This record gives sequence, C-alpha cells and structure tokens, in this order.
Amino acid sequence: MATREAGKKMIMLKSPDGMEFEVEEAVAMESQTIRKMIEDDCADTAILIPNINSKILSRVIEYCNKHVPTTGATGAAASDTVAPAALAEDLKIWDAEFIKVNRATRFNLIQAASYLNIKGLLDLTSQTTIDTISDNSLEEIRSFLSTKNDYLPEEEQTIRRENQWAFQ
Amino acid sequence: MVDAARVTAPPPDGSLPDEITIWEILVRLPPKSLLRCRAVCRAWRSATSTRRFLLAHNALQPTLPLLYGYNFVGDEVESLDIIPFHQRAGAGELQLRPVARLAQDSDFHHLEACCDGLLVLSFRNTSVRDWRFAVCNPATRQYAPLPLAYGSGVEYSLLGMYPHTPTGDYRLLMFRDSVSMHHQLVPDAAQDGSYIFTLGSGQPPRHIGFLEAEVLTFTFGSLLFRGSLHWRPPGNMIMVFDTTTELFWQMRAPAVPPGHAKLFQMDEMLGMSGFNDAATTIDIWVAQDYESEVWACKYRVDFSVAEFTPRFGKFDESSWVVVMPSDGDVFLLVNFGEWLLQLDIGGKLVATFHRRGLGPANLRLKQTLVQHTFFPILEGYVTNSPPFI
Repeated sequence: MATREAGKKMIMLKSPDGMEFEVEEAVAMESQTIRKMIEDDCADTAILIPNINSKILSRVIEYCNKHVPTTGATGAAASDTVAPAALAEDLKIWDAEFIKVNRATRFNLIQAASYLNIKGLLDLTSQTTIDTISDNSLEEIRSFLSTKNDYLPEEEQTIRRENQWAFQ
Repeated sequence: MVDAARVTAPPPDGSLPDEITIWEILVRLPPKSLLRCRAVCRAWRSATSTRRFLLAHNALQPTLPLLYGYNFVGDEVESLDIIPFHQRAGAGELQLRPVARLAQDSDFHHLEACCDGLLVLSFRNTSVRDWRFAVCNPATRQYAPLPLAYGSGVEYSLLGMYPHTPTGDYRLLMFRDSVSMHHQLVPDAAQDGSYIFTLGSGQPPRHIGFLEAEVLTFTFGSLLFRGSLHWRPPGNMIMVFDTTTELFWQMRAPAVPPGHAKLFQMDEMLGMSGFNDAATTIDIWVAQDYESEVWACKYRVDFSVAEFTPRFGKFDESSWVVVMPSDGDVFLLVNFGEWLLQLDIGGKLVATFHRRGLGPANLRLKQTLVQHTFFPILEGYVTNSPPFI
C-alpha cells in the first residue's frame, strides 16, 4: 500500500471470504451505507461487508478511489492544474474501461453498488443492463436475466394488446 | 436503494435477484420499455404496477428538453412527434425517439406547457379560427380536451401550467381576449383578463382580472421555477406569478435584449439567454441570488450565423434554446433551415439533425406513469386511442 499522508483516517473493510482492505475514510464514505455506519458510530476497527466477495469489493474500492472528490483525498493540486471539463472527460473514459467486464461480474457490481448505496457506480453498472432491456425482445430479456415466462400464451397476448404501442 | 436487510445472496446462475432487478433496473427504464416488460413474467407485472413503484420510477426519470417534430405528407402536416432530447452519457450518441405521436386533425398544433409529466397542447382549425387546448400525458397515453367557453369574438391564450401545492390541483393560467369581429374590436373589460382553470374541478375558469398579463400572450412560453411561473415580456422586468398565492409580481431582468430572450433552469438557478443585435453571440445569464435579483453573465457563446447559413439555410431567430441534457453540460439547440444544430458553449458544432419540422420547444418533460386523477373527470377524455397513434 502507498504511504499514507499524515492525518488521513483509515478504515478497514472486510469481505466475507476473509480479505481485509484498508481504505481512506473519505473513499469508504463514497458508499452512503458505510457513511451512515461511520456517522452513527457503528464502525469499529473493521466493517464487514456481507455478500460482496473480495474480487468484487476490490473493484468497488477501485471505483471509489477514482471517484472520491479530488479536493479531499488526493490533494487539491490536481483540481488546480486540470480543468474540470478535462477531469470529467478523463473520468468518463476511465468509467468506460472499468465497466468492460462480463455479465456475471457486472451483475455482482450492481448488487454491491445497490447494497453499499454508491449512486455513481449503480448508474454506471445498471445502464448497460437498462439499454439491453430497452433494445431487445421479450425472449432476449428473459434469457439475459434468466427469467421464466410464467404466462399462458393467451395471457401474454392480452397484456401485449393492452400496451400494443409499447411494442411498436 | 434496496433495503439492506433484504439483500440476499446472488442466485447461483449469475443472474440478478428479483428485488434488485425490480428496484434497481426496471425502476430506471423509460416508461415505454417498462410497459413492455410487464409481459415478461407475472412477478414483474405485479411489482411494476403498484403506486409505490410508479412513484419511485417517476422520481428516477430524467428531466429532458423537449423537441417537437412535425411529420408531413406532401405539404400537409399529418402528425406531431413529442421527442425528448436524450444524450447517453459518454456515448456521444443522440437519440431522437418520440415518446408519443399525435395525429393532427387541425391546421396548427403546438406544445404549450409542461409539468409533472403533463403536456398542454394548443391547436387551431382555420375554419373555426380560435385556439383550443388539450392536456395529455404521453407516458400513460391519456388525453382530454379542455372545456373552455370557446366562441366567436373570444380568444384564449395559455400563459402557464402549475401544480397548486396547497390543494394538490393542477391549474392553468389563461388569458381571455376579445378579438375583432368583422374588423370591429369588441372589448369586454368585464370578462377579459386572466383566468385560473383548475383541471378536473368541474368549475369554469375563475376570473382574476389582471389585464396587464396581456403582454404575456406574446412571449415564448413560461418557466416554472421555485414555485412561480416566469415570463420575459418586453421591458426591463421578468413577470412572475406565485403559484401558491396566485399573485403576480415582477423581478429585475439582466441586460439581454428582450426580443428573443429565453428563460430556463440551469442546475438550481434561474437562467436567461438572448443574442445580441448582430446575432453573433448568445449570452447566458444566471440569477446568482434569486431573492436579491442579482444576475451574472455566465457564458458568452460566439455564434456565427454567417458561418452556418451557407451550409444549413436560414437562421430562425425564434427557434433556439439552451439545454442541459445531463449534469453540467450546457448546449444550444438552434434551427437553421431544415436543420437542428447542437452547439457547445464554445460555439462548436457538436451534432446536426436534418429533419423538416423538427425544433426545440423550450419545455422539459419528466415522464410519469403515475395516474393523474383529473383525467377521467374531463369530458371527452380518452386513453390509448386517437389522437395518439
């Protein structure tokens, strides 16, 4: 781990598979769930993050590290020398690379972002799934999300007719 | 966010738990895709039909600038597309997918006002000669004509639409004018002036006087901001209508020539823009301090009509808007000939769209599938049928 700057408070995050991650408090607080724990004083020396394995948790921390406001954690120098528009553009490119993962990993990231309540990560990870649902047929949606069609054929026809314009 | 206590282990096949699919994915779908998804399975249908879900869905819908798009058959306008201006983050890809298409059975059809997913349209038949109004929700495909006392010698203008917070009603601010008949002006001071019409009240519009509002019938629409309607009429002032007290007041306007000035909301601030007399720059002002009426010029966009005219055609001085399709991005949409151009605040051309009859409406739509209760009370109310195509 990189040398810590003096005065930065660190937090230990533990995954259920026993891995521990030491992160700056500001980075951990990108998660509203963790922020609430810290603010309510529920955070002891280590916070156990249930249901998020170490592989996914490390990626979530990577995202938070990148997205923590630059004036706080990584020093004010960055935002003084780089224009905000350029920073935003850099983040967009970074995000696009970050999300190049397989479907199972993306679904795991969506769940982690949902549980940890990290809005930016949730927006990023859910968008491709939202686009897939918007652009594909019902059969493709069912197969993509492993959902079973439990309608009788005539029931499905009725529901399609009710919202026929939505299928055009 | 899904309730933490209910988060379960991921299903073994690497799909998403239903709870996440419904409350994180389906809740973010555009209304049309969501309605389609009700045919996927029973669980999705029942979960996405509850009022709680629909309110959460509405809260997550983006507020998007609206475009109108007329569809022609020959030189006749056949229908009107209502198109949100949507830019997918990062992709730089513009989508001009209409959320609704309305058959046009009159000679003019305009998008007049928009709030809480509702749109007010005006139309006019050359034979009848007066403007008529209708309200619709493009997401639920509900439509109802407004029952005003139309007739010869009377003309209504829509000044604005607003939710009346104390009662939860939706109200329209109208202006009634006596118009000249057979070249004779028949003013009727007792009946002319401003009216408030409460949707679904069953009551006729309530006369509130204020003849001075006539000047607002010539401005380009109203802006609902911080619970007040705003207009930019000629003069030095912005006219304001407090939607709770239902009283007019005035605030100072920045130094923008009023001719084609546009009001808009920029982040959480009131914005106003206008171009200089030579149409070489567009200034974008924001009210830094709304209460004290302090304005600051935030951007000056160099904008050369002469540069674009040879390529795209004549600049339409009334047809341009400032839009913020996503956080922090500010663009101009301007009409040249049959082109709609998207310019950034450096005046650089970002995108072009060639389509006859396409233009910006200076309205913003946040779609909702939550039912508005007033629709069934209005006579002539229809759902999922013409004029929706």
